[in-house]
Amino acid sequence: MTGDPHAGTDTRDRAIAALAAIAIGIQILEAAIPSPVPGIKPGLANIVTLITLLVLGWRAAVAVTLIRVVGSSLLLGTLLSPAFWLSLAGALASLVLLAALRPFAPRHVGPVGLAIAAAMAHITGQFLLAWAIIIPHPNLPLVLPPLLLAALITGGLTGILTAHVLADPRIQRHAHNPTPND
Amino acid sequence: MNHRLLRWGDTLIGALAAGVVVAAFVFAYSPSGEARVLVISQAGATPQHEPLDRARVVEIHGPAGITHIEIEPGRARCADSPGRQNICEASGWLQAHGEVAVSLPNRLTLQVLGTEPGFDSLHY
Repeated sequence: MTGDPHAGTDTRDRAIAALAAIAIGIQILEAAIPSPVPGIKPGLANIVTLITLLVLGWRAAVAVTLIRVVGSSLLLGTLLSPAFWLSLAGALASLVLLAALRPFAPRHVGPVGLAIAAAMAHITGQFLLAWAIIIPHPNLPLVLPPLLLAALITGGLTGILTAHVLADPRIQRHAHNPTPND
Repeated sequence: MNHRLLRWGDTLIGALAAGVVVAAFVFAYSPSGEARVLVISQAGATPQHEPLDRARVVEIHGPAGITHIEIEPGRARCADSPGRQNICEASGWLQAHGEVAVSLPNRLTLQVLGTEPGFDSLHY
């Protein structure tokens, strides 16, 4: 059990750092995979955010996500470029929605619902930033529906993957509130 | 390990998200494509614009005969044309922005236009 108070910040900080490192690694690997359609990618790094949220809580999830966005942009050379701002906007939008859903997780909403909601919020946040500032073209909304559809599909897939990772006993060991086995 | 993959909240979020996707498709794609005007272009003549506001039949005289163009609110079609392969008729109802029917024997093209500019392709 890591629930004892002495474990405190050190263990927690190390866990956040390790999770952020995994998330950065996933994001870099994903950036190297050519996507069939520009703007659509699986968003596998979101698995780490969800695991962090469900195991360590929302604040840790915010930390891991922000470290991932900044860290991966440093490694990819996109820091402060439009790609970075889009990534940040998507991450913040999904964190806001995850915060709103926090009271329902994990009792009523599991990883799949959280992942779908986060993916939809992610693409919506990115889209709003792109539309408002980066490419303010009146017809840009025409690309939103396919992107939302892709978010629904990839969100569902990452949610299922998250559920499988969460079910792993090595993760369950760290959870304050293990997923109810009902 | 035998916990359920989906809880009711997951199903609800999935359904809401699917609804958002469907609404986005309907909202983004349906209103812009409506045809408002039919442009009749014949070789050697000034293009003729016919608004798609009420049902009527327009006859266009060409080198091969008469092309009957049927117009209804929001759509138009080549109802009868002298071409032997019925290519003009086979184009069916033209109702989305940019749709075209052609009658080569009568050296005629019919195109419906909407209020919004259409896209031939999309690059980014």
